[in-house]
Amino acid sequence: MSADLTLILPEIVLAVFAMLGLLGAVYTGKDALAPALVWATSALLVLVALWVGLAAPETHTGFGGMFIDDGFSRFAKVTLLLSAAAVLAMSEGYMSARGLLRFEYPILITLAVVGMMVMVSAGDLMSLYMGLELQSLALYVVASLRRDSIKSTEAGLKYFVLGALSSGLLLYGASLIYGYAGTTLFSGIIQTAQTGDVSLGMLFGLIFVISGLAFKVSAVPFHMWTPDVYEGAPTPITAFFATAPKVAAMGLFARVMHDAFGNAVGDWQQVVALISLLSMFLGAIAAIGQTNIKRLMAYSSIAHMGYALMGLASGTVFGVQAMLVYLAIYVTMNVGTFAFILMMERDGQPVVDVASLNMYSKREPGKALAMLVLLFSLAGVPPMLGFFGKLYVLRAAYEGGLAWLAIAGVVASVIGAFYYLRIVFYMYFGDENAEGLDGGKSPVLWGFLMASAVVMVLGIINMFGVEGAAAAAAASLVN
Amino acid sequence: MSLFFIVALPFLGALLPGLMNSAGRSATAGVTFTVTLAAFVGLLTNLPAVLAGNVVMARVDWMPLLGLNFSLMLDGLGFFFALLILGIGLLIIAYARHYLSRDDNMGQFFTYLLLFQGAMVGIVMSDNILLLLVFWELTSLSSFLLIGYWKHLPEGRQGARMALTVTGMGGLAMIGGMLMLGQIVGSYDLSVILQNRELIQADPLYVPALVLILLGAFTKSAQFPFHFWLPHAMAAPTPVSAYLHSATMVKAGIFLMARMWPVLSGTPEWFMIVTTAGLITMVLGAVIALFKHDLKALLAFSTVSHLGLITMLLGTGTAFGAMAAVFHILNHATFKAALFMSAGIIDHEAHTRDIRRLGGLRRLMPITFVIASLAALSMAGIPLLNGFLSKEMMLEEAYHTVLFGSPLLVPVLATVGSLFSAAYCFRLIGHVFFGPVRDDYPAKPHDPNTGLWLPPALLVVLVVAIGVAPFLAEPFVKLVTASVLGDAAAVPTAYFKIWHGLVPALYMSLIAIAGGLLMLALFKPALFVWDKAPRPEAKVIFEAIVEAVAKLARAVIHATHNGAFSRYAAIALVVMVAVGYHAWSTGTVGPDTRTVQYAPPVFIAAWLMLATATAGLVILHRNRLLSLILIGIVGLMVSIGFVFFSAPDLAMTQFTVEVVTIILLLLALNFLPKTTPVESTVLRRVRDTGVAVLGGLATFALSFHYLLRDAVSTPISEFHLANSYKGGGGTNVVNVILVDFRGFDTYGEIIVLGIAALLIYAMTETLLDGPVRARLLNRKPDQARSGNKHPMMMVVLTRVIMPVVLMVGFYIFLRGHNEPGGGFIAGLIVSIGVVMQYMASGFGWASARLRYPYHGVIGAGVLIAGLTGIGSWFFGKPFLTSDFTYVRIPPFEKFELATAALFDLGVFLAVVGAVMLSLESFSRLARLAGYHDSDEPMDIDPLRDDTIAAGHAAAEKKGV
Repeated sequence: MSADLTLILPEIVLAVFAMLGLLGAVYTGKDALAPALVWATSALLVLVALWVGLAAPETHTGFGGMFIDDGFSRFAKVTLLLSAAAVLAMSEGYMSARGLLRFEYPILITLAVVGMMVMVSAGDLMSLYMGLELQSLALYVVASLRRDSIKSTEAGLKYFVLGALSSGLLLYGASLIYGYAGTTLFSGIIQTAQTGDVSLGMLFGLIFVISGLAFKVSAVPFHMWTPDVYEGAPTPITAFFATAPKVAAMGLFARVMHDAFGNAVGDWQQVVALISLLSMFLGAIAAIGQTNIKRLMAYSSIAHMGYALMGLASGTVFGVQAMLVYLAIYVTMNVGTFAFILMMERDGQPVVDVASLNMYSKREPGKALAMLVLLFSLAGVPPMLGFFGKLYVLRAAYEGGLAWLAIAGVVASVIGAFYYLRIVFYMYFGDENAEGLDGGKSPVLWGFLMASAVVMVLGIINMFGVEGAAAAAAASLVN
Repeated sequence: MSLFFIVALPFLGALLPGLMNSAGRSATAGVTFTVTLAAFVGLLTNLPAVLAGNVVMARVDWMPLLGLNFSLMLDGLGFFFALLILGIGLLIIAYARHYLSRDDNMGQFFTYLLLFQGAMVGIVMSDNILLLLVFWELTSLSSFLLIGYWKHLPEGRQGARMALTVTGMGGLAMIGGMLMLGQIVGSYDLSVILQNRELIQADPLYVPALVLILLGAFTKSAQFPFHFWLPHAMAAPTPVSAYLHSATMVKAGIFLMARMWPVLSGTPEWFMIVTTAGLITMVLGAVIALFKHDLKALLAFSTVSHLGLITMLLGTGTAFGAMAAVFHILNHATFKAALFMSAGIIDHEAHTRDIRRLGGLRRLMPITFVIASLAALSMAGIPLLNGFLSKEMMLEEAYHTVLFGSPLLVPVLATVGSLFSAAYCFRLIGHVFFGPVRDDYPAKPHDPNTGLWLPPALLVVLVVAIGVAPFLAEPFVKLVTASVLGDAAAVPTAYFKIWHGLVPALYMSLIAIAGGLLMLALFKPALFVWDKAPRPEAKVIFEAIVEAVAKLARAVIHATHNGAFSRYAAIALVVMVAVGYHAWSTGTVGPDTRTVQYAPPVFIAAWLMLATATAGLVILHRNRLLSLILIGIVGLMVSIGFVFFSAPDLAMTQFTVEVVTIILLLLALNFLPKTTPVESTVLRRVRDTGVAVLGGLATFALSFHYLLRDAVSTPISEFHLANSYKGGGGTNVVNVILVDFRGFDTYGEIIVLGIAALLIYAMTETLLDGPVRARLLNRKPDQARSGNKHPMMMVVLTRVIMPVVLMVGFYIFLRGHNEPGGGFIAGLIVSIGVVMQYMASGFGWASARLRYPYHGVIGAGVLIAGLTGIGSWFFGKPFLTSDFTYVRIPPFEKFELATAALFDLGVFLAVVGAVMLSLESFSRLARLAGYHDSDEPMDIDPLRDDTIAAGHAAAEKKGV
């Protein structure tokens, strides 16, 4: 028992922190504690990330196999903890200035992070669902944090209803799997699939679980909520949506596919490949017509999830590694990009119109250059780090025998490059007479933007060792 | 010098100009020049090895997992291109020092230039194709920065956008091609790939790989149909145009085709695509160039045309063609860079590049005249200049090329291309330098200082030298050709000569020159025709395509993603059904293991009721009261289903829950509109019906399938059945599960239930403090209220029945462990009993008689359950371990005492508290809205008549 508790100590620490924060905030003035709480949460998340990341590279299981602590989960946890910490640090100034900072915000984020940590460590359909719902419930609320905005509440409601639908699907699938495997443990499910063919009941279960998970990673055709939520939520929350939950959901996806259905790769490969294909193309095509940069980033994230899924679809160790590397790079890029979007303002009001970036380079050459690097990286143009991520997943797809998917991925990236480059064009060659943006002075955001851009350039030297870590993590998942 | 150092020098050196910016313009240019010169010298130190036919290699592992290594190689081809890049780079730097004005930020300019230079050198020296890709896109990036250098020019914007879009996307396409190539061969090293011609060409991925790689090459080298971006990119400063858009960057695509020549060429696909594209580009570029009035635009299209020529030569796939291509690359680089620099000089001095405003410069700018004329004549293919030699070789090759089965097509088109090429060269000389001196130049032209004219002059010296003595270039060209050909073919033995005898190529050349002169003579009428003729403008087409794509994207999004929730749900559902069908059709369907049972009429009737109620619910859902009643029916039928399946506990729970929820919903409905407005169109309802029926059928099919088959493993219920009495001391398995096996779950659930009730309470509180309060206070009921609020019959009945209900609840609670019942159901029953009091006698009357606050009841429930759990700790057992014993206290029979009963008590209290607290919250709304309670519930309300009148008035108002 105490060994089990030691295993989830990081999660316990975060959960207890969230509850203490809640108590503290209730007994102090209205939202007076909020700024301090945001920073404290951010710092704590970083500390927990270090704690998890520096743990001995061993595999432990606890709670009778329901909770797995291995290299894979640690990699995913560090990524999501750091990205959540970064987003929190970026959001304080923005939300305070606009009166959006409520004390619930850091607490809900912490709880969502706990849910995500459980997700990536899940070794059982039940812990899977527990983590997933803890995360989702926190996110439903966060999505509609701006209660006085119709757009925000509508987006939150849509997200909630669709999320409930997908959770229902997932549960239905889980119950079918349980019915046909006789256990909810991944290690038990994989035993029943060992004999080769999985039974039809199991197959249906698998497909429903995939559908439920596809919703969480906002893959096509379960992506509908993404642009609405991205647009409706306050920008820092959009940034959060674009980073940590994606890592957690992809991690969970990989965990279920490999730990529970690793012997039936053929049964899920085609489905995952299909949603990967659809996501890449829809993301690329739909973003072209967007003028709202937050909606644009929503479609961009859909496309990026398509690429990450491509790594998973390959069904190999290398594919998982590619997925992890891709996610780490994706998250870093998004942190920087959203730091930039948070700085887009005119007369103190946030601006999300892409056209407002006209001739941005003239006013803010440094920031424009950093954004240029990030956009090139998002488009996957060498030599930026984003290119290496794409290279990884494309190679994984080839090696997994999905050459058609890789070719399609290249075509989609060509289409997708168009809208990233369009923003670059606006910034450097846009219309001089268009109404521009203010400076947007925030040292924190500036720092994140620059750091992210620098990582995109310097990361090409050795990816800061992420490559090796991802390889070890992938090896611990697929065996 | 190590290859690493040669490649790294420009990148490292790129830091210097920026730092030196304050030290003055000359110093900035000087340091750039020095860096380039160092790289140039370093390159030359490798000359002996290259001349000896060796391939110089250098290699460092970078990301071995990805197959990406920093490996460089230098062979004849790489050396040739590196020489061009660094050599012309030196001249351009010197030229740019004098060309750029004081206002330009020179440090920035030279930094970008060096970045670009390093990337180009990297491309031509890469041994790893992934590394090549990295450098490839670096050139796109740095050229973008260079084109954007003069961003104040409005015409430059479109150009920069097109250049970036076209080459960037082409580069991405190439990534795919390169990956496939590496996958086929199993290595990403060029030196390995180039050895595997047969393997690559036999692979099914060859064609897609070829197409993707050629997309990259064609976009970069501005081949048809991507030729349009290059001329528009020419808004950049002239040194940039000369360097990037004529001598180096646009040749990267050519370089790639030459590099891949041994493995990709020689197939029909290669021949058809490359030759055709090259031929069209050549002719098209030449024709357009003739009619351009901007000097730089003319040169730009001529560059396009010449790139087409080289592409065509590479496309033929013969060794002679390759050699001609190499030779023409060299020649074109020399004369075209010289011409661009001359154009820059004219622009710089005369302040215009418009040919129509120039003329007569021969006398004003004699040095420029000589340089430009020699270079132009070389381009036109006049003997004794280098352009003639390679053009002759091209025509010779064209003469032997059969395309689309026609032996005439290529030669004729090649001649036409040369003809127009000659014509625009003559026009350049004739219209710019000859003719009368004008007096309306924007600025008085004169020859520039040495710094500006010396670099092109040096190039023209080369033009003449090679033209007069071709044998000087021959060994070098052949060396380069050998490395292009690799093992695929032997270097041709043909000698480079000015005079080949009366060969067909000579006649074609003569026709071209004569035709060119004739064209110039007829230029005015030709221009008239050209201006009148309708022709597609590439830029317009590009814009149109961009606009159309954006429109299409918007249309797609609008169709699938219009913000309507119902559409999202419909799409998700349809996809789910489709995916399920996929699983069904691909999975193995086992045989039935159960038989379909006979359905007695009673069951069918029940089923029909359920179905009818459900269907009615869908149809009548706009009437909310009716739909609530129908929901109740559905719930009751489900409870009956539980009874049928011998689950009385579930049936009782379902039944009581059903009653409580319907009552709560009715209370809530009191404050909501009674009907749902019609928002959807008929069409949408039809669609939704279809989707719903589809989903329903799919669910039915799935359920039916499962009902006919046993689950694979034994159900968990067997464990519960076996252990319920033995371990939990109860014969009612459901109750034992609730309070024992899964007691922890139940504990969590009652807490959640309590929190939910508290939340409803809290929300009501908040609502009542907010603007809702005012609305409630002013609320007029939309329907007439009954005057007899508390019907006497009902009041009496409920009061009489109350002790009975409590007794039943107590009984159900006690028997729960062994018979159907338990704390949960008992809680609901008691709640219903209390709710009935509220409904019959009014809230005020009832609450005055209840002593315990519901918050406290919930808390007590949770506390009791929790303490029961903790109690087991004192006996050294884990939380919530239950125990039971049998006692006999005379005169009673033996009976059982179980800790689970205490736990169940907690459940009971929590349920009662939660239900009542929610109810109380709703009633607070009602009471605020002015529904008066009377303390004497059985009295007739004296306000009755007023209420009715008010209701009628409200109804009439609505009607109007």
